[in-house]
Amino acid sequence: MGEVTKAKLDQLRSGELSPVENVRRALERISKLNPKINAFIEVNNGAVAQAEALERKLKRGKRAGKLAGLAIGIKSNINVNGLRATCASRTLEDYVAAYDAEVVKRVLAEDGIIIGMNNMDEFACGSSGETSAFGATDNPAAPGSIPGGSSSGGGAAIAAGMCDLCLGTDTGGSIRNPASHCGVVGVKPTYGLVPRQGLIDLGMSLDQIGPIAPDVYGAALLLEVIAGKNLNESVMLDVSKASYIDKIDGADIKGMKVGVSPQFVEITDSAVMNVIDKSIESLRDLGAEIVDVELPHIEEALPAYYLIVSVEFFSATRKFDGRKYGKRIEDVCGDEVLRRILRGRYISQKEYRGKYYQRALQVRTIIRRELMAALEKVDVIVGPTVPKLPHKLGTKLTLMEMYAYDYLTIPANLAGICGGVVKAGEVDGIPVGLQVQGKMLGEGQVLRVMRAFEAVS
Amino acid sequence: MAEERQKEIERSAEEIVESFVKATEGLPSEREMYYSQEAYNVVRPDGKPSSSEERTEFRKRFIKIMPAKDEDGNLRVEVAKWVK
Amino acid sequence: MNMMIGLEVHQQLATERKMYCDCPTNYQDVPPNTNVCPICTGMPGSKPLSPNEKVVDAAIELALMLGCKVVVDKPTYIQRKHYDYPDLPSGYQRTSLPIAVDGNLQGVRIREVHLEEDPGQYDPTVGSVDFNRSGVPLVEIVTEPDMRSPEDARKFLRQLIRVLEFTGKVRPEAGGAMRTDVNISLEGGARVEIKNINSVKGAYKALKFEITRQKARLGRGEAVTRETRAYLESQMITTPMRAKEMEEDYRYIPDPDIFPLIIDGTKVQQIRERMVEPPHLREQRLAEQYGIQQAAANVIVSERKFADLFEEVAKEVDPKLAATWFRTKLKKVLNYMKLDAADIKFTPKQLITLLQMIQHHRITPEQGELALRELVKKPTDPKELVQRLGLERIEWEDLELAVKEAIRKNQKAVKDYLAGRKEALNFIAGKVMELTSGRADPREILKLLRAELLKKI
Repeated sequence: MGEVTKAKLDQLRSGELSPVENVRRALERISKLNPKINAFIEVNNGAVAQAEALERKLKRGKRAGKLAGLAIGIKSNINVNGLRATCASRTLEDYVAAYDAEVVKRVLAEDGIIIGMNNMDEFACGSSGETSAFGATDNPAAPGSIPGGSSSGGGAAIAAGMCDLCLGTDTGGSIRNPASHCGVVGVKPTYGLVPRQGLIDLGMSLDQIGPIAPDVYGAALLLEVIAGKNLNESVMLDVSKASYIDKIDGADIKGMKVGVSPQFVEITDSAVMNVIDKSIESLRDLGAEIVDVELPHIEEALPAYYLIVSVEFFSATRKFDGRKYGKRIEDVCGDEVLRRILRGRYISQKEYRGKYYQRALQVRTIIRRELMAALEKVDVIVGPTVPKLPHKLGTKLTLMEMYAYDYLTIPANLAGICGGVVKAGEVDGIPVGLQVQGKMLGEGQVLRVMRAFEAVS
Repeated sequence: MAEERQKEIERSAEEIVESFVKATEGLPSEREMYYSQEAYNVVRPDGKPSSSEERTEFRKRFIKIMPAKDEDGNLRVEVAKWVK
Repeated sequence: MNMMIGLEVHQQLATERKMYCDCPTNYQDVPPNTNVCPICTGMPGSKPLSPNEKVVDAAIELALMLGCKVVVDKPTYIQRKHYDYPDLPSGYQRTSLPIAVDGNLQGVRIREVHLEEDPGQYDPTVGSVDFNRSGVPLVEIVTEPDMRSPEDARKFLRQLIRVLEFTGKVRPEAGGAMRTDVNISLEGGARVEIKNINSVKGAYKALKFEITRQKARLGRGEAVTRETRAYLESQMITTPMRAKEMEEDYRYIPDPDIFPLIIDGTKVQQIRERMVEPPHLREQRLAEQYGIQQAAANVIVSERKFADLFEEVAKEVDPKLAATWFRTKLKKVLNYMKLDAADIKFTPKQLITLLQMIQHHRITPEQGELALRELVKKPTDPKELVQRLGLERIEWEDLELAVKEAIRKNQKAVKDYLAGRKEALNFIAGKVMELTSGRADPREILKLLRAELLKKI
């Protein structure tokens, strides 16, 4: 388990598989499966040419980048020069990105080949993969069920083997949620670790770009490439590049303190919790010490989040006035996007600021403090990723029922800490992901636990 | 129809706000957390501006995606309502 | 009629890079949309760079010049101010909380100083936008409504320009580097805001028009409602821009993409110490220190370099003489040749030498002025210049001879003078001037003539 990416890289490095061949296969697979799965909004017509250029470069004896020859899907809210960054919305359906996001520059610098733009919930406002203006995405691991969101296309593409790695984004769980539903690996890095220059905002103080991969190694590798300080933006942690694949080598978690919270049990369906409990046992068997941690206000993270993200999203969308590019967002967007804009507009009014926005920011302080305190006692906190199994595509849910998927993923975004998801098991064939959360800049520990678990599951 | 939809969405948007506030009623007052880290005065020095090569490339793309433009490269937008 | 006038002055700062990106700040000599990038054009996903440090320092200095208290040791957030206008690429303007408060300039209180960025240039009649100017750093200076007439406002703005330009940190006034929003309320009427004013003259004319308009309304028994009006320069009128009985709600939030500033008290002290003395304070000091007239000091401080030159010269020349020369003849020559003090090529020593010659009556003031003109055109040793031009003051004996000769050759005029026709004296004096090639002081000529002619009575 967990050897897919490494095996592919070995094949590419040894010459057994050429970059061009790898890209062609990916394009074929996409061509065959995308009509049903709808994981990609746009395929990169220049991918083969890029692979050819890479082969020429390697022939000349140049050093191969870390991602050399790998086919990488990019979520449609990240700018890739020359491809459309639609955010799965009519607002930007014709917006051809005029520059490369910093993470894209880094992927290209390590010889990754961008294979296409992944489908997503419109403007990342969703947790199901059903709100794209270009049609819902299916879950290849549980056909007919939602793949989760908002990085629905990324999760599905990896689950269906349409490409090697994907970049998704996570604001309230949008990488971890689809990773769990689709049975793949996803990581939300510590806030400020990965540059956001070129990422079309949902919530500026919450968004992070992160890897979606078939295995922990792949996620660690892609994380390594994209993480590290960017001088060309302001709000970033002052950290230089680090290696993450080092951290998971021979992953051994003997003696590590792993926290579990009774509050998770209260929030989560028993079917899901059963799978998680078994996972925790596995961790115990691997030598970890399981420690109880209290997160008494974890549920209040959700309302705080939705108030904050609405205000930030309202602000972020003021630029979509249809004058410079695209269309005016309020004229063409979907319901949930409009809902968040209107909600944000409402609560950011001068007279309501204290009551709603500022109050939510106070709750944020409390949530952060609780998580930080818990992470003082343990190395990581494990538990379920989502409180319930994914519903069938097209099922009508109330607003609160939809938002409820986010209960367990939101706290990490509010606090700014990191969190990763690895497949824990299944319920009636439907994947369930184990979430591992760590301190700020604790990706090493998180990945180690994930890898150790992956190796035995 | 569009009016109705907007009204409905607005209502659902605002309704949930009240329940959110209720849910957090019991919690104490706190300092507001605007940023994930305490960092201040992150500034950059003034100096040599960006090169014209980089900007030429961007300019081409920027002008290309403009919904309306003139031959000099200005963006064309609406005339101000208050202009006589 | 009683009125209250307040100003919000937007002044561009002289930096090479824009406030939140590295684009050049030159927007006047380049084709439209040339000095732009994804950040200052509000492309989807763009994030600001950290604020330009020079702007912060310059703003502190300007604030100190205006006698303000700088806000120290507490976070100064950069906020997003949201409104919809074609020249605002992101739908919000980044504007800071006040960095200084409670200042005073010549009796007008300064409420606050804060940092802003310029929007793009929108031509409202044609409907075109050029983003070259977007992101150029601005400082905004807000006054209390302490002015009581358009003349007050004009006087204040002129003084303000002087103070700002004195620092060397602002862009020169030409071409819209300073723009003002004017607020006026007449007794019995609401406050009206006038925007789109690009010059001191414009502010004056706008106010004159507005007062007439408002008086007329009040006279007719109509209300003057609270509104925002635009000043139309070509017609010198104001016209309604948007009717608002209420304040526009800008929905301010701290910008999540920019860390707050905290101004350190020590830094303020350092800036204060190395700061250039503000003109209004320097004027005071020059008058007292050198015993010169306020009016002369006022002209001298009109340009920092002019005042610097004066103080250099006043060390070795009678300050009162120097002051007179600076205020009248030197200023006249510079104005005539359309030069600033900064363009002066002669050395202080050269000017000192010339003025000493005048002070010691070696040349007449009139000759001195001629020499000065030459000196400005082509710097050279004044002693040599005077000799070359034959400007040396004539020796007393030679003057006596010339006077006697003029009397001898103009007997009719002498008779007329003795008969009581005073103007005949000037005629004879003129002849003396011719005889001496202008090398005699006219006052000396008249004195001698009178004395000589007196003998003839």
